[in-house]
Amino acid sequence: MRHEILDAPDFGLLKLTLDAGETVVAESGAMVAMGASIAVETKMRGGFLAAAKRKLLGGESIFQNTFTARAAEQELYLAPPIEGDLAVRQLAPGETFFLQSGNYLAHIGEQLVLDTQWGGVRSFFGGIGFFMLKVVGPGTLFYASYGAIHEVAIGAGGYTCDTGHIVGFTSGLEYKVRPFAGFKGLFFSGEGLVCDFEGRGSLFVQTRKAPSLAAFLHPYRRVQQRGNS
Amino acid sequence: MHFEIQYRPTHSLAIAHLEPGESVRAEASAMVSMTRNLSITTDGPMGGRGGLLKSFKRAMLGGETFFTNTFTARGTPGHVTLAPTLSGDMLPIELRRGEPLYIQGSSYVAAPDSVEIDTRWQGLKGFFSGESLFFLEATGSGAVLVNAFGAIDELELDGDVIVDTGHLVAFGAGIEYEITKASRGWIASYLSGEGLVLRMRGRGRVYLQSRNPNEYGQAVGSQLPPRQG
Amino acid sequence: MQHYIEHGPAFAWLRVRLEPEERIVAEAGAMVRRSTALEIDTRLNASKKGGVFGVIVAFFVALMRKFFGGETMFLNEFWGPRGGEVVLAPKLSGHILRKSLDGTRTLFVQSGGYLASTAGIDTQLRFGGLRTLFGGEGLVLLQCTGQGDVFVNSYGGITEVPVDGQFVVDTGHIVAFDGALDFKVRSIGGAKSILFSGEGLVCEFRGRGTLYIQSRNLKALVSWVTPLLPP
Repeated sequence: MRHEILDAPDFGLLKLTLDAGETVVAESGAMVAMGASIAVETKMRGGFLAAAKRKLLGGESIFQNTFTARAAEQELYLAPPIEGDLAVRQLAPGETFFLQSGNYLAHIGEQLVLDTQWGGVRSFFGGIGFFMLKVVGPGTLFYASYGAIHEVAIGAGGYTCDTGHIVGFTSGLEYKVRPFAGFKGLFFSGEGLVCDFEGRGSLFVQTRKAPSLAAFLHPYRRVQQRGNS
Repeated sequence: MHFEIQYRPTHSLAIAHLEPGESVRAEASAMVSMTRNLSITTDGPMGGRGGLLKSFKRAMLGGETFFTNTFTARGTPGHVTLAPTLSGDMLPIELRRGEPLYIQGSSYVAAPDSVEIDTRWQGLKGFFSGESLFFLEATGSGAVLVNAFGAIDELELDGDVIVDTGHLVAFGAGIEYEITKASRGWIASYLSGEGLVLRMRGRGRVYLQSRNPNEYGQAVGSQLPPRQG
Repeated sequence: MQHYIEHGPAFAWLRVRLEPEERIVAEAGAMVRRSTALEIDTRLNASKKGGVFGVIVAFFVALMRKFFGGETMFLNEFWGPRGGEVVLAPKLSGHILRKSLDGTRTLFVQSGGYLASTAGIDTQLRFGGLRTLFGGEGLVLLQCTGQGDVFVNSYGGITEVPVDGQFVVDTGHIVAFDGALDFKVRSIGGAKSILFSGEGLVCEFRGRGTLYIQSRNLKALVSWVTPLLPP
């Protein structure tokens, strides 16, 4: 299988070329275009109970699509819904990478493990924090960002990042979620939380964040008329 | 204090590098990440017009809060990274000594203490489009960090030009502006989709953005589920 | 007429220098800036056919274009006795593509993808696919014919795909394609997949011709943002 990242870093588009029998798993809704000899199968990610738990807590998508080529040289184009960059990470056996859940796009390799974790103060119905995917190799991981991907090498001084701007980070880092000091309350959901990092590793920051876009678009929505269902 | 802009022009990220004791004042929702050696204070609405804050919120096309945070490096050098809500470019505009720079309200991101920001506003609502014209006046010395929705286009004006209000980022001294109808008639102006436009005349710098936040908000917002209020 | 596509590929705008009396037609609301000497004529977004009946039909076509096509109901024509410059921009981030038609070829442009065209181009609304009018799904296309230039905008980057055989594209990612291609709209798999796969409708292309796809999709953006919205 060959992969090529087009239109990056503005609107990353993943182009895969599959040989007969090769498969790739992708987030539902990611398919842009494909050759005529690719079969698509829809499955629940992680099984029914795990999927239901995630849906209850975080509104994540439950389903994934598995694309299998039935002939040689089949092209498959995948894209995330967000404007931004697209990156690939090859994971060695046992290598761990933490990815913010909404940034996952696709992966290759049946042995790659995706496990959903909650990063932050835990409570049954959410609490403050964010969903993370703990990805363990071997395998190839494709992920997207809202905006550009800015890599920060974390060292002795530690680092603080707004939670909405976190794409992912390597193992070896400890983190703690807290409200941002001096911020007068939480204006919109997800706003005003930061994550303090310590240890040694790399943090991947995205230069735009989803809650801000939602807040921007909110006034442009039509107002629901009273009496309508 | 100096601004470094990365990932131009689409997903730009501004890094404000601070020597010990140096400060930068930034619009509250702009913070992405920072080193941990900074102290932060939150200032009230710019210009102190607390009572008018609510109406300004809508006028600022959502998401902009009017609160600013001041970041100061303590003991060692540090930095804070900043980004606006929408995709697009950022530019530090150097103030010319003695000359003010007029910045559209939603385009302001950050400035050092050597820059004075004054909220002089023109509360003229766009008759049809619901846009308001809101300008900040920046004086002093140093660079003001502005953002654009889209790419920044710098025009050295010598004469006159008609500009769509939603595309205006900033303009320098020496430029007069007059609000005028887009077309010859009122109905035609409404139907043309342009509503009110600015006729700008004089000699000086005009900064435009290649996308219009209001048009974008309507294009996406009209597709979103209706809101309750 | 001279045209310059600037600030691409992410935030392209179209800058046009018009000769005296030369016209360019654009979607309403697309203007960024223009010379003060230019005039604007606003008309309904429909084929130009004369007579009272023609106007009534044009009104309904324009209305349909607005509600089903994601386009504006009106178009602006820019021109001037001495010519001038006008800059036009689309609503979403992305690129602009210029396609020249010589009178023999047809270009299909997905609704929302039309930015501007020169005076010799005619556009007609076409529907293709399942449940188009009422489901809000399916393909709403502008059929462009005539002689001149069509300026098409994309959401995201534009990738040119030379189709020779068969190719499947998510409908939300189609920018434009050659009239020579056969196309059919269908769901990606069985009925189950339409609900669960997250993929919307797809368009199956057959034959030989050029297809332009965009790397982002407005419906996908809407789905992604919706859970984050306050009530």
